[in-house]
Amino acid sequence: MAITDLPTFVRADGPDKVTGSGRYTADMTLTGMLAAKFRYAGVSHARITKLDVSAAKAIPGVFAVITADDVPDVRYSYGIADRTLFAKGVVRYDGEVLAAVAAISPEVAQRAVDAIVVEYDELPIVTDLEAAVADDSPLVHDDLDGYAITGDTPHHGNVGTHSSIEMGDPDAAMAAAHTVVSSRFVADASHAVPIEPRAVIAQWEGDKVTIWTSTQVPFDARNGVCETLEMPTTKVRVIVPHVGGGFGGKCGPHYEPHIAALARAAKRPCKLVFSRWEEFTAPDRRREGMIVDVTTGLDAEGNIVARTGELLLDNGAYMADSSFFAQAAAMHVAGPYTIPNVRIDAQLVYTNHQPSGSVRAPTAPQGCWAVESHTDELAAAIGMDPLDFRRRNIVRTGDVGPTGQTYEEIGLDRCLDMAAESAGWGTTELPDDEAFGISIGWWPSFHMPAGAYMKMHADGKVQVITGANECGTGSVMTLRMLAADELGLDQTDVELVYQDTAAAPDGPGASGSMTLFNHGRAVEKAAKEIAGQLRELAATKLEASAADIVLADGAASVAGTPTKSVPIVELAEAAAEGELLLGSGSTDELEWPEIKGSSCLGEQGFSSFMAPQFICHVARVRLDKDTGVARVLEVHAVHDSGTILNPVAAHGQVEGGILMGIGQALTEGTQYDETGSQRNAALLEYKLQTIADAPEIHTQFVEIHTPNAGPKGAKGLAEAPNVPTAGAISNAIAALIGRPVRQLPMTAERVWSTIAEEVTA
Amino acid sequence: MSFAVATSLDDALAAMAAGARPIAGGTDLVVGSRQGKGALPDAIIAIDRLPELAAIEVGDDVTRIGAGVTHATLMTDATVVDQFSSIADAAALVGSPATRNVGTLGGNVMNGSPAMDTGAPLVVLGAEAELRSVDATRSVSLDELWTGPGSTSANADELCTALLIPNRPAASGSAYVRLEYRRAMEIAVVGAAAAVTLDGDTVSTVRVALTAVAPTILEVTGLDAVVGSTIDDAAVAAATAASEQATPISDLRASDAYRRHTIGVMARRAVDAAARRAMGETIAVPVNRALGVGAVA
Ligand SMILES: Cc1cc2nc3c(=O)[nH]c(=O)nc-3n(C[C@H](O)[C@H](O)[C@H](O)COP(=O)(O)OP(=O)(O)OC[C@H]3O[C@@H](n4cnc5c(N)ncnc54)[C@H](O)[C@@H]3O)c2cc1C
Repeated sequence: MAITDLPTFVRADGPDKVTGSGRYTADMTLTGMLAAKFRYAGVSHARITKLDVSAAKAIPGVFAVITADDVPDVRYSYGIADRTLFAKGVVRYDGEVLAAVAAISPEVAQRAVDAIVVEYDELPIVTDLEAAVADDSPLVHDDLDGYAITGDTPHHGNVGTHSSIEMGDPDAAMAAAHTVVSSRFVADASHAVPIEPRAVIAQWEGDKVTIWTSTQVPFDARNGVCETLEMPTTKVRVIVPHVGGGFGGKCGPHYEPHIAALARAAKRPCKLVFSRWEEFTAPDRRREGMIVDVTTGLDAEGNIVARTGELLLDNGAYMADSSFFAQAAAMHVAGPYTIPNVRIDAQLVYTNHQPSGSVRAPTAPQGCWAVESHTDELAAAIGMDPLDFRRRNIVRTGDVGPTGQTYEEIGLDRCLDMAAESAGWGTTELPDDEAFGISIGWWPSFHMPAGAYMKMHADGKVQVITGANECGTGSVMTLRMLAADELGLDQTDVELVYQDTAAAPDGPGASGSMTLFNHGRAVEKAAKEIAGQLRELAATKLEASAADIVLADGAASVAGTPTKSVPIVELAEAAAEGELLLGSGSTDELEWPEIKGSSCLGEQGFSSFMAPQFICHVARVRLDKDTGVARVLEVHAVHDSGTILNPVAAHGQVEGGILMGIGQALTEGTQYDETGSQRNAALLEYKLQTIADAPEIHTQFVEIHTPNAGPKGAKGLAEAPNVPTAGAISNAIAALIGRPVRQLPMTAERVWSTIAEEVTA
Repeated sequence: MSFAVATSLDDALAAMAAGARPIAGGTDLVVGSRQGKGALPDAIIAIDRLPELAAIEVGDDVTRIGAGVTHATLMTDATVVDQFSSIADAAALVGSPATRNVGTLGGNVMNGSPAMDTGAPLVVLGAEAELRSVDATRSVSLDELWTGPGSTSANADELCTALLIPNRPAASGSAYVRLEYRRAMEIAVVGAAAAVTLDGDTVSTVRVALTAVAPTILEVTGLDAVVGSTIDDAAVAAATAASEQATPISDLRASDAYRRHTIGVMARRAVDAAARRAMGETIAVPVNRALGVGAVA
């Protein structure tokens, strides 16, 4: 039986979540547990001249108040180790943590937080990206070179990483081009907005700490505690109860170290539960604002001959996991097109905003929106249909991409054809207030080491012990299908033991669309080990060669002689009395695709795409021109994500990604005041899409068995659906009003102002 | 802090005389306090289970809608949908199914927000609020009731027991449209209600009131001039007057300029939909959904 033929997908965590019996971190109570609360900076840039916690400590019911003085003096972060757990000397954004309080109740904790005295010398606030890169700009960090810097991280002034892609001779090609179009697009910052605000509980026993936390990445959380509190890996155990969504927002270590240190100081378990306001303002996980200037030259036939671009990305106050953002954004602005001459410069700029960090497909929705809107401007400039223009210029199997990577078998051309066909591009008659818009995009898959253990019990049931993490995608549940397929069992015979760093081998968790791609390969290997043991046992019993044993439908049988068969449970029973059925697996290294002919400054692993995923979305949009309110009526989505192992979950990912994409396109944007503080850190004013706004979504997959990829030729899928939706919506709006809306989100008011400009022009 | 559940209207009035604040659905009071708009009152009396507040009674001249009637009832009740369609249009837009199932008309009116959705419909329908205390019952016009954002002229011991609405003449209709950026869990960026009575093809009365463009719900004045004109002319005149008379602010949701523009669009659409209903056309509740994107006509 092929895995894709499995009749149903059984989502083992579903009933718990739907009936409310499932436990999330905030639901847990431990004996003697205290409430934790943070004191935040409250200003965006200032030198701390006084921080006095004595009054807070004196309040009855307060067990501990800790600051930077109470934890090891460690600076950490990826790329540039620019931050400390608690603010030290200078605060650089308003949600930076100054102190943590543990008290008998949240109310007492809040009183103690309010009793902390802090005094500042205010420093100049940097919020404007263009001003921040000017030579005379005040600096967010005085001396980046004073920090430990790892990887290829060119930096200067307020620029944290500078990345550039160069290939061919873009200046000469641009000068010789038949048509040249320049565009500027500005994307506001946005947020991941998981429905569960984060929560952390820490409890010490002797010199060991157990931490329950709503993270997507338990091993990163553990490592963060070990690094900042200077503890060995074996003394820190991270357990993850059910997670109420992450969307990247819960990647990276966040407040696990703070609460562990607080619980140690208070000598009691401590629990932190964020409010929605904290969830918006404090964590280092904001989708970065971006300014994109892009110029493209075409020849007389409409082929792209050159592209140049300059990108500024708002990093906020500290490096979270953002050091790769500049290069990733540059790749999206280059786009999945054959462009022989390219120069794209991208700078990740420090500001006094909340730090940016990975949110579902970091840099891609904004970069793709900008370049795909630009692409329709190119098509319009030469009077070509946007679909035809893309057909002419996209990368196909065997083509060389904008950094000189040659693609193995890829399905972008089929994505384009199938999406256009599904929508009825060029054939469907639309009313005057409706239009289609098309957009393509791409997103890589990533290899990272991951492991799995597995055991088969005497009753033939299997436990998979995995470092994978379920943040809502359903991807972890696909691991059961992989194990069952290898062992000839039903997926309901397989249980997962997961989200516990003390039990499972390490892995990337739920980040970077990596669950199936990496954890899946580890599970396959572990299952193969047990399958091998079962074949040996069956071979002895059936007097056949192990190589001829087939595991299927709960039995081991001899190939070609189905009557010679033994139930797997019988083999398991026997093994339980002898050599136990145990398996383990770790991912094999995959080959990183080569690039030729380009030079990349600030190399951060994004200049070539491993097992690249391709996407085409066509959106049908209706626009109320009197008010600028746009409504997405249909999205036709076609994805090349390799083999689709779990169609139910795959459709779910595409639908969720599109809805998030519509939000980012139309209503989701973070607004700042002049002091760098967020003005709309609440769900009424930060407008997510609701289910009532959902369009019809028609999803198809181009299933190419991809070499050098995940299990059975699968690529990733969690982030790709979020990449091109905003671009498709933008192009539909532009088709209706004659020009693109140049700022994201394309709010009703911005659409209305753009219409007014068009009328004046 | 004390919390009690009233078992009769007298019970509720006595509790209020002793200083308690009423809570109906709690969708403003509790949510507001959790958002830090103000602490919960020291004494709370729950009125959500009082049958006396939950009735809709059609009298000879006036229809009495109990203050405890929920938005879910308002949007489906046959009398409200047929006779006072604009109230049903508004109720159907409130929050989400959960909000509508517990949120009440009385709570909406007494909360006094300039963004309340049922306010503008009640104004154009000429409604009065019935206020009752242990000692007395009185009716006040809405104009008198709302004194500013979040404040009313009701005394602390006065419970709003009902909204009293004059029954509609023949050939009349009303409608409410609002500008919204998404289709649930939204708050009015701006909104407009209109009540229109026709004499053949021409307009004999028109009232228009506006949501979220002034400190309280704002009734558009000077519309007497359109009596006798065509529906289209009346709609355009209402739009112009609405944009002129609005005093919108700039905030997170919109700039004042955009609000001033779109309030005209909403007023025009409200008059148009109300007139079409007056002519006997069935436009399903809410007008926002029946006519397309957001509030497209
Ligand atoms: C998610 C959400 C979405 C919402 N969306 C909308 C919307 O789209 N449009 C809209 O207009 N509103 C909206 N609201 C606000 C709210 O739901 C409505 O105003 C609702 O009608 C309030 O009614 P309630 O019964 O819940 O009032 P409560 O919260 O119980 O009371 C509100 C105030 O009125 C007082 N009060 C209540 N009843 C009486 C009475 N009979 N006499 C005297 N005083 C009284 C209370 O003391 C309190 O001060 C929304 C609220 C939420 C939480």
